[in-house]
Amino acid sequence: MKKKNLPLKEIFLEDERFRISYYFSLEKLILSLQEVGLLNPPLVALRDKRFILVSGWKRVLACIKLGLSSLPVFVIEEKAELKTFLAAFYENLATREFSLLEKAEILSRLKRFGEDEKKIVQHYLPLLDIPSTLSNLESYLAFSQLESEVKRIIHQKNMSFSSVKIFSGFTPQERKSLLPLLLPSGQNKMKEILEDLKEISRRNDIPVKKILSSKETLDIMGSEKLSPLQKTDKMRLILMKKRDPALSSRKESFDSLLKKLRLPKNIMVKPSPFFEEENFLVNFSFGNHKELKTILVKLQELAAKQEFAGIFKFK
Amino acid sequence: MSKSQYFPKKVYVEKRSLDFPLTKRILKNVGPVPREIIDDPQEVIEDIKASKDVMGAGKKYLLITRQRGEFVKPCPCTPRYLGCNYFIINIDLNCPLDCTYCILQHYLTNPLITVHVNREDLWRQLDILLHRKRHRTVRIGTGELGDSLALDHLTENSIDLVSYFRKKRNVIFELKTKTVNIKNILRIEPAPNVVVAWSLNSLRIAKEEEKGAPSVEERIEAARRVSERGFRTGFHFDPIIHHPDWEEGYEEVIKILLKTVDSARIAWISLGSFRFPASLKAIIEERFPKTKIIYDEFIKGKDGKLRYFKPFRLELYKKIVGFIREWGGKEIPLYFCMESEGIWREAMGWIPKGEENLEAYLSSPLG
Repeated sequence: MKKKNLPLKEIFLEDERFRISYYFSLEKLILSLQEVGLLNPPLVALRDKRFILVSGWKRVLACIKLGLSSLPVFVIEEKAELKTFLAAFYENLATREFSLLEKAEILSRLKRFGEDEKKIVQHYLPLLDIPSTLSNLESYLAFSQLESEVKRIIHQKNMSFSSVKIFSGFTPQERKSLLPLLLPSGQNKMKEILEDLKEISRRNDIPVKKILSSKETLDIMGSEKLSPLQKTDKMRLILMKKRDPALSSRKESFDSLLKKLRLPKNIMVKPSPFFEEENFLVNFSFGNHKELKTILVKLQELAAKQEFAGIFKFK
Repeated sequence: MSKSQYFPKKVYVEKRSLDFPLTKRILKNVGPVPREIIDDPQEVIEDIKASKDVMGAGKKYLLITRQRGEFVKPCPCTPRYLGCNYFIINIDLNCPLDCTYCILQHYLTNPLITVHVNREDLWRQLDILLHRKRHRTVRIGTGELGDSLALDHLTENSIDLVSYFRKKRNVIFELKTKTVNIKNILRIEPAPNVVVAWSLNSLRIAKEEEKGAPSVEERIEAARRVSERGFRTGFHFDPIIHHPDWEEGYEEVIKILLKTVDSARIAWISLGSFRFPASLKAIIEERFPKTKIIYDEFIKGKDGKLRYFKPFRLELYKKIVGFIREWGGKEIPLYFCMESEGIWREAMGWIPKGEENLEAYLSSPLG
């Protein structure tokens, strides 16, 4: 490997064959370059008489942003693509964690450059902290094929493996129409939405796009009154009702009974989780002796009400 | 996997297991199947793990090794539901059948069909357990981490186990299977404390979700022959699966069962609705992409497992209990596997006073 100073314009950045990182912010690196300069030169390789970048995309893009005209680089003399890529891989492996999408890109490059599939599963997956199964490799390879718009959201929302796996199982059109729903959600809500969609679709043999193009969905998504987060929450509820109709209906009946009982705000009656146990929970709060006495009287009155016995039907 | 007897593509024998009599017996019974002596099974296991369908690939190979841990363990019943005080014997691990819902897909880290051949250690551990529990009648069986009879033509386990247990007084031994591999059973003398049991399901579920298993009618026919030979039989409707036309489906099987097998010689019938750890769902989706059984309405139970929403479970149980009673099984002891007291009371009309009470109910004087 030779070190040399290379004019930036001589690096052919359109060739991304070794690139594994796409979504990053340059701010801190620019600051570091301004303060101490480039300490770790990027790796380049000569292909078809042009220098292409093997490792150090962030560094090179930051240098461009800073308006530098040249930078020190290491030139890898290796001609084999796999060996060249491995230089970049191991350089990064030693110094940082890879994101889910970076792992997907690494595995797709290994495959593309001819690494043996069995070796990828047994050797590289554990290095990337992925359980070594062929099915995991296939999942990551599928992730690397996703549309760049979708990849950006996956990165931005730091989506989990299981969510991305479900997402990658949808069609490109379905993924596109889901993006506005997923953008305002946190990881858990996102996973819930994706899981419910997948499971309703599989159980009822309805394509996801059909669920997403139902009238109620279109009404919610097209509403001008609702904020993006409200739209997502409404959709979540609709999907929950479709996914678990009996449980949702039981919850609704229980809530409607409580409404009829007109409980004071500081008394709450709750069923057991999913109505699985036969007990109910009463929560109340008080600040002094007098309030406690009032609550106890209220509870006695409540227990005497005929409608209250209705809650025992929910056992 | 064909519905005929299981023969592996290859047998791996761990070097240190080579001299056990059971190893020699298996190698003789397995016939002209390639075999390889290995130092460390882990290498083979790692190799299999590089397959796309690890569980499916593992089922093609038989590993002969030693049990280094305990052969006998209390059944890992689910916390916060009523258990039945059962003990399990882990002689064989894994099963050549490939049921969609099988918990072993989630539970086993070794995907190979594995036989533990250090039989002397098993007898010693059983002697200790039965001595320790000498004031009780212990229920014990081999069908938890594998099918009790699926490998019987190779291991002849049934002959050894029945011969051991027939001499013991304070134990009821159960062989639990979905197969019709009963040749050895029919050759041996019945013992009053041995129950040969079959897992049953609706014809549709058996056909769609129990890959490699004989049909329900074939299983019931095998049960009839075993019953007529003089053994007591048991049946397990577990997992009961909520599916289109489930009522007709389960009634049909119960009718066939009670018309075919002498109900007076049925030791018990257990009922358990489909339940599974959440992490099994992804495995099932991956291995059985066409199945719909995991998309029903499940809730997270008190033990953290997914199970049907309670009103569904109650409906399933009440109907099935009703069918059993209606079609001639009035006197057969019924029990639930891993259910709550509320379900017992509503569907069965009584609640066992703890695990030992249930154990006594199921160990009542042998027929």
